[in-house]
Amino acid sequence: MFVIELAGVRIRIENRYSFIERQCRDFVCEGEDAAFAVSVTNDEILEEQKHGEFSDGYCESICLYRHICEELPAYNVFLMHSSVVEVDGYAYAFTAKSGVGKSTHTALWLKNIPNARVLNGDKPLYRLEPDGSLTACGTPWNGKENWGENISAPLAAICFIERGAENRITPAVEEDVIGRLMHQLYLRGSRQSVAQQLCLMDALVRAVPYYVLECNISDEAAHVAYNAMRKS
Amino acid sequence: MQINKDFTIQKVGASYVAVPVGETSKSFHGMVRLNETGAFLWKLMAEKDCTEEELVDALLAEYEVEREIAARDVHRIVEQLAENKIFI
Repeated sequence: MFVIELAGVRIRIENRYSFIERQCRDFVCEGEDAAFAVSVTNDEILEEQKHGEFSDGYCESICLYRHICEELPAYNVFLMHSSVVEVDGYAYAFTAKSGVGKSTHTALWLKNIPNARVLNGDKPLYRLEPDGSLTACGTPWNGKENWGENISAPLAAICFIERGAENRITPAVEEDVIGRLMHQLYLRGSRQSVAQQLCLMDALVRAVPYYVLECNISDEAAHVAYNAMRKS
Repeated sequence: MQINKDFTIQKVGASYVAVPVGETSKSFHGMVRLNETGAFLWKLMAEKDCTEEELVDALLAEYEVEREIAARDVHRIVEQLAENKIFI
Protein backbone atom coordinates (compact mmCIF):
# COMPACT_ATOMS: atom_id res chain seq x y z
CA MET A 1 0.00 0.00 0.00
CA PHE A 2 1.25 3.48 -0.85
CA VAL A 3 -0.01 6.96 -1.67
CA ILE A 4 0.44 8.81 -4.96
CA GLU A 5 -0.51 12.30 -5.98
CA LEU A 6 -2.16 12.73 -9.39
CA ALA A 7 -3.33 16.14 -10.63
CA GLY A 8 -3.12 17.39 -7.04
CA VAL A 9 -5.28 14.57 -5.62
CA ARG A 10 -3.82 12.12 -3.12
CA ILE A 11 -4.81 8.51 -3.83
CA ARG A 12 -4.09 5.43 -1.75
CA ILE A 13 -3.17 2.41 -3.86
CA GLU A 14 -4.00 -0.88 -2.17
CA ASN A 15 -2.07 -3.23 -4.42
CA ARG A 16 -1.26 -6.93 -4.48
CA TYR A 17 1.48 -6.90 -7.11
CA SER A 18 4.66 -4.87 -7.20
CA PHE A 19 4.28 -3.86 -10.89
CA ILE A 20 2.25 -0.80 -9.89
CA GLU A 21 4.87 0.30 -7.33
CA ARG A 22 7.58 0.45 -9.97
CA GLN A 23 5.23 2.19 -12.38
CA CYS A 24 4.25 4.87 -9.83
CA ARG A 25 7.77 5.49 -8.53
CA ASP A 26 7.87 9.17 -9.58
CA PHE A 27 4.41 9.93 -8.16
CA VAL A 28 4.68 8.49 -4.65
CA CYS A 29 4.21 10.93 -1.78
CA GLU A 30 4.74 10.86 1.97
CA GLY A 31 2.05 10.13 4.53
CA GLU A 32 -1.02 7.90 4.54
CA ASP A 33 -3.93 10.32 4.24
CA ALA A 34 -5.66 10.32 0.86
CA ALA A 35 -8.83 11.59 -0.84
CA PHE A 36 -9.79 8.00 -1.69
CA ALA A 37 -8.37 4.50 -1.95
CA VAL A 38 -8.47 2.05 -4.86
CA SER A 39 -8.04 -1.71 -5.03
CA VAL A 40 -8.78 -4.44 -7.55
CA THR A 41 -10.46 -7.82 -7.11
CA ASN A 42 -9.18 -11.08 -8.49
CA ASP A 43 -12.21 -11.32 -10.78
CA GLU A 44 -11.41 -7.97 -12.32
CA ILE A 45 -7.88 -9.12 -13.09
CA LEU A 46 -9.20 -12.33 -14.67
CA GLU A 47 -11.68 -10.31 -16.74
CA GLU A 48 -8.87 -8.05 -17.95
CA GLN A 49 -6.79 -11.06 -19.00
CA LYS A 50 -9.50 -12.03 -21.49
CA HIS A 51 -8.23 -9.14 -23.65
CA GLY A 52 -4.76 -10.60 -24.09
CA GLU A 53 -1.84 -12.31 -22.45
CA PHE A 54 -0.85 -9.82 -19.80
CA SER A 55 0.73 -10.34 -16.40
CA ASP A 56 -1.38 -10.11 -13.24
CA GLY A 57 0.55 -7.01 -12.21
CA TYR A 58 -0.07 -5.24 -15.50
CA CYS A 59 -3.78 -6.07 -15.37
CA GLU A 60 -3.98 -4.83 -11.80
CA SER A 61 -2.43 -1.55 -12.93
CA ILE A 62 -4.96 -1.12 -15.78
CA CYS A 63 -7.88 -1.84 -13.43
CA LEU A 64 -6.53 0.50 -10.74
CA TYR A 65 -6.34 3.39 -13.20
CA ARG A 66 -9.88 2.67 -14.36
CA HIS A 67 -11.09 2.96 -10.76
CA ILE A 68 -9.05 6.10 -10.21
CA CYS A 69 -10.58 7.69 -13.32
CA GLU A 70 -14.08 6.88 -12.08
CA GLU A 71 -13.37 8.67 -8.78
CA LEU A 72 -11.49 11.71 -10.08
CA PRO A 73 -14.38 13.65 -11.69
CA ALA A 74 -15.58 14.44 -8.14
CA TYR A 75 -12.30 16.39 -7.76
CA ASN A 76 -12.71 18.20 -11.11
CA VAL A 77 -10.12 15.95 -12.71
CA PHE A 78 -10.69 13.70 -15.71
CA LEU A 79 -8.91 11.44 -18.15
CA MET A 80 -8.72 12.19 -21.84
CA HIS A 81 -6.96 9.73 -24.09
CA SER A 82 -4.38 12.01 -25.70
CA SER A 83 -0.74 12.86 -26.11
CA VAL A 84 0.45 16.05 -24.41
CA VAL A 85 3.61 17.96 -25.28
CA GLU A 86 4.88 20.75 -23.04
CA VAL A 87 6.72 23.67 -24.65
CA ASP A 88 7.91 26.72 -22.68
CA GLY A 89 5.38 26.25 -19.89
CA TYR A 90 2.28 25.46 -21.97
CA ALA A 91 0.67 22.10 -22.72
CA TYR A 92 -0.48 21.14 -26.23
CA ALA A 93 -2.76 18.11 -26.53
CA PHE A 94 -3.22 15.81 -29.51
CA THR A 95 -5.88 13.27 -29.89
CA ALA A 96 -6.86 10.90 -32.67
CA LYS A 97 -8.43 7.57 -33.35
CA SER A 98 -6.17 4.73 -32.41
CA GLY A 99 -3.50 4.10 -35.03
CA VAL A 100 -3.75 7.49 -36.79
CA GLY A 101 -0.36 8.63 -35.56
CA LYS A 102 -0.42 10.53 -32.26
CA SER A 103 2.93 9.08 -31.29
CA THR A 104 4.47 9.78 -34.69
CA HIS A 105 3.34 13.39 -34.54
CA THR A 106 4.52 13.73 -30.93
CA ALA A 107 7.95 12.49 -32.01
CA LEU A 108 8.01 15.17 -34.74
CA TRP A 109 7.46 17.86 -32.09
CA LEU A 110 10.31 16.50 -29.98
CA LYS A 111 12.59 16.61 -33.00
CA ASN A 112 11.54 19.99 -34.39
CA ILE A 113 10.24 22.25 -31.63
CA PRO A 114 12.88 23.63 -29.26
CA ASN A 115 12.25 22.84 -25.55
CA ALA A 116 9.46 20.35 -26.36
CA ARG A 117 9.05 17.45 -23.92
CA VAL A 118 6.31 14.89 -23.47
CA LEU A 119 4.10 15.46 -20.44
CA ASN A 120 2.23 12.22 -21.10
CA GLY A 121 2.05 10.18 -24.29
CA ASP A 122 -1.26 8.42 -23.77
CA LYS A 123 -3.38 8.88 -20.64
CA PRO A 124 -2.85 12.30 -19.05
CA LEU A 125 -5.28 13.83 -16.57
CA TYR A 126 -6.83 17.28 -16.91
CA ARG A 127 -7.83 19.44 -13.97
CA LEU A 128 -10.49 22.12 -14.26
CA GLU A 129 -9.34 25.23 -12.39
CA PRO A 130 -11.70 27.66 -10.62
CA ASP A 131 -11.16 30.22 -13.42
CA GLY A 132 -12.38 27.76 -16.08
CA SER A 133 -8.93 27.00 -17.46
CA LEU A 134 -7.47 23.50 -17.66
CA THR A 135 -4.19 22.08 -16.43
CA ALA A 136 -2.71 19.01 -18.11
CA CYS A 137 -1.09 16.67 -15.58
CA GLY A 138 1.35 13.81 -15.97
CA THR A 139 0.46 10.31 -14.74
CA PRO A 140 2.32 7.00 -14.41
CA TRP A 141 0.09 5.60 -17.20
CA ASN A 142 1.73 6.91 -20.31
CA GLY A 143 1.42 4.43 -23.14
CA LYS A 144 3.63 1.86 -24.77
CA GLU A 145 6.39 4.38 -25.59
CA ASN A 146 6.51 5.18 -21.88
CA TRP A 147 6.73 8.90 -22.60
CA GLY A 148 5.89 11.10 -19.67
CA GLU A 149 6.98 12.94 -16.57
CA ASN A 150 5.53 14.06 -13.27
CA ILE A 151 4.88 17.60 -14.47
CA SER A 152 1.84 19.75 -15.19
CA ALA A 153 1.20 22.79 -17.37
CA PRO A 154 -1.72 25.02 -18.38
CA LEU A 155 -3.42 23.63 -21.48
CA ALA A 156 -3.07 25.92 -24.52
CA ALA A 157 -4.98 24.03 -27.22
CA ILE A 158 -6.32 20.67 -28.32
CA CYS A 159 -5.72 19.28 -31.79
CA PHE A 160 -7.48 16.39 -33.54
CA ILE A 161 -5.06 14.61 -35.84
CA GLU A 162 -5.96 13.11 -39.19
CA ARG A 163 -3.76 11.75 -41.90
CA GLY A 164 -3.35 13.93 -44.97
CA ALA A 165 -1.12 14.28 -48.01
CA GLU A 166 -0.40 17.90 -47.14
CA ASN A 167 -0.04 19.59 -43.76
CA ARG A 168 -3.01 21.80 -43.00
CA ILE A 169 -4.49 23.01 -39.72
CA THR A 170 -7.95 24.56 -39.32
CA PRO A 171 -10.07 25.58 -36.32
CA ALA A 172 -12.63 22.91 -35.34
CA VAL A 173 -16.29 23.88 -34.95
CA GLU A 174 -17.97 23.09 -31.62
CA GLU A 175 -20.43 20.56 -33.05
CA ASP A 176 -17.57 18.60 -34.45
CA VAL A 177 -15.54 18.94 -31.22
CA ILE A 178 -18.14 17.18 -29.05
CA GLY A 179 -18.34 14.17 -31.34
CA ARG A 180 -14.59 13.83 -31.55
CA LEU A 181 -13.98 14.31 -27.81
CA MET A 182 -16.58 11.75 -26.88
CA HIS A 183 -14.42 8.90 -28.13
CA GLN A 184 -11.44 10.03 -26.06
CA LEU A 185 -13.08 10.59 -22.67
CA TYR A 186 -13.66 7.95 -20.04
CA LEU A 187 -17.40 8.09 -19.36
CA ARG A 188 -17.78 5.22 -16.93
CA GLY A 189 -18.63 4.72 -13.31
CA SER A 190 -21.62 5.67 -11.22
CA ARG A 191 -24.39 7.91 -12.52
CA GLN A 192 -23.03 10.73 -10.39
CA SER A 193 -19.52 10.28 -11.72
CA VAL A 194 -20.63 10.18 -15.37
CA ALA A 195 -22.86 13.24 -14.90
CA GLN A 196 -19.94 15.11 -13.33
CA GLN A 197 -17.70 13.96 -16.18
CA LEU A 198 -20.18 15.47 -18.66
CA CYS A 199 -20.14 18.76 -16.70
CA LEU A 200 -16.37 18.72 -17.01
CA MET A 201 -16.77 18.05 -20.73
CA ASP A 202 -18.93 21.17 -20.98
CA ALA A 203 -16.08 23.15 -19.37
CA LEU A 204 -13.61 21.41 -21.66
CA VAL A 205 -15.31 22.50 -24.88
CA ARG A 206 -15.22 26.12 -23.69
CA ALA A 207 -11.75 26.15 -22.17
CA VAL A 208 -9.36 26.10 -25.12
CA PRO A 209 -9.23 26.53 -28.90
CA TYR A 210 -9.62 23.35 -30.96
CA TYR A 211 -7.98 22.50 -34.24
CA VAL A 212 -8.10 19.77 -36.84
CA LEU A 213 -4.68 18.94 -38.24
CA GLU A 214 -4.38 17.00 -41.47
CA CYS A 215 -0.78 15.94 -41.56
CA ASN A 216 1.87 13.70 -43.06
CA ILE A 217 5.02 12.55 -41.29
CA SER A 218 7.37 15.34 -42.44
CA ASP A 219 9.10 17.80 -40.10
CA GLU A 220 6.85 20.50 -41.55
CA ALA A 221 3.83 18.87 -39.84
CA ALA A 222 5.16 19.82 -36.39
CA HIS A 223 5.90 23.40 -37.45
CA VAL A 224 2.46 23.86 -39.04
CA ALA A 225 0.79 22.56 -35.86
CA TYR A 226 2.92 24.51 -33.39
CA ASN A 227 2.63 27.81 -35.30
CA ALA A 228 -1.17 27.62 -35.17
CA MET A 229 -1.51 26.31 -31.60
CA ARG A 230 1.30 28.29 -30.02
CA LYS A 231 0.57 30.36 -26.95
CA SER A 232 3.16 32.72 -25.57
CA MET B 1 -42.54 5.55 -25.00
CA GLN B 2 -40.39 5.57 -21.92
CA ILE B 3 -36.65 6.06 -21.83
CA ASN B 4 -34.35 3.55 -20.19
CA LYS B 5 -33.45 5.01 -16.79
CA ASP B 6 -29.82 3.98 -17.17
CA PHE B 7 -28.87 7.21 -18.94
CA THR B 8 -27.71 10.59 -17.77
CA ILE B 9 -28.21 13.72 -19.84
CA GLN B 10 -26.26 16.99 -19.60
CA LYS B 11 -25.79 20.13 -21.63
CA VAL B 12 -22.38 20.16 -23.28
CA GLY B 13 -21.57 23.32 -25.21
CA ALA B 14 -24.64 24.14 -27.28
CA SER B 15 -25.89 20.53 -27.46
CA TYR B 16 -27.23 17.97 -25.04
CA VAL B 17 -25.46 14.66 -24.59
CA ALA B 18 -26.99 11.51 -23.10
CA VAL B 19 -24.72 8.63 -22.13
CA PRO B 20 -25.45 5.25 -20.57
CA VAL B 21 -24.60 4.41 -16.96
CA GLY B 22 -24.70 1.18 -14.97
CA GLU B 23 -25.59 -2.06 -16.76
CA THR B 24 -26.64 -0.26 -19.95
CA SER B 25 -23.10 1.08 -20.46
CA LYS B 26 -21.96 -2.51 -21.09
CA SER B 27 -24.34 -2.96 -24.05
CA PHE B 28 -24.70 0.61 -25.34
CA HIS B 29 -21.42 2.23 -26.36
CA GLY B 30 -21.34 5.87 -27.23
CA MET B 31 -23.78 8.69 -26.78
CA VAL B 32 -26.95 10.31 -28.02
CA ARG B 33 -26.71 13.94 -29.08
CA LEU B 34 -29.80 16.08 -28.93
CA ASN B 35 -30.80 19.66 -29.61
CA GLU B 36 -32.87 21.67 -27.16
CA THR B 37 -36.19 20.20 -28.37
CA GLY B 38 -34.76 16.69 -28.24
CA ALA B 39 -33.54 17.20 -24.68
CA PHE B 40 -36.94 18.60 -23.63
CA LEU B 41 -38.71 15.51 -25.00
CA TRP B 42 -36.06 13.21 -23.54
CA LYS B 43 -36.68 14.54 -20.05
CA LEU B 44 -40.43 13.99 -20.39
CA MET B 45 -39.96 10.43 -21.59
CA ALA B 46 -37.46 9.75 -18.81
CA GLU B 47 -40.08 10.68 -16.22
CA LYS B 48 -42.97 8.61 -17.55
CA ASP B 49 -44.38 6.61 -20.43
CA CYS B 50 -45.65 9.12 -23.04
CA THR B 51 -47.48 8.84 -26.34
CA GLU B 52 -46.43 10.93 -29.34
CA GLU B 53 -49.58 12.98 -28.90
CA GLU B 54 -48.76 13.81 -25.28
CA LEU B 55 -45.29 14.85 -26.36
CA VAL B 56 -46.70 17.14 -29.06
CA ASP B 57 -49.04 18.74 -26.50
CA ALA B 58 -46.17 19.27 -24.07
CA LEU B 59 -44.06 20.85 -26.82
CA LEU B 60 -46.91 23.19 -27.80
CA ALA B 61 -47.37 24.24 -24.17
CA GLU B 62 -43.72 25.21 -23.95
CA TYR B 63 -42.78 26.53 -27.40
CA GLU B 64 -44.44 28.78 -29.96
CA VAL B 65 -44.70 26.34 -32.84
CA GLU B 66 -47.46 25.06 -35.11
CA ARG B 67 -48.91 21.66 -34.24
CA GLU B 68 -47.89 20.24 -37.60
CA ILE B 69 -44.25 21.19 -37.10
CA ALA B 70 -44.24 19.99 -33.48
CA ALA B 71 -45.73 16.65 -34.56
CA ARG B 72 -43.10 16.25 -37.25
CA ASP B 73 -40.27 17.06 -34.77
CA VAL B 74 -41.63 14.66 -32.16
CA HIS B 75 -41.96 11.88 -34.71
CA ARG B 76 -38.44 12.42 -36.02
CA ILE B 77 -36.89 12.41 -32.53
CA VAL B 78 -38.91 9.39 -31.36
CA GLU B 79 -37.79 7.47 -34.46
CA GLN B 80 -34.20 8.42 -33.86
CA LEU B 81 -34.36 7.26 -30.23
CA ALA B 82 -36.11 4.04 -31.24
CA GLU B 83 -33.34 3.32 -33.75
CA ASN B 84 -30.81 3.75 -30.96
CA LYS B 85 -32.87 1.39 -28.75
CA ILE B 86 -33.24 3.95 -26.01
CA PHE B 87 -36.76 2.94 -24.99
CA ILE B 88 -37.62 0.36 -22.37
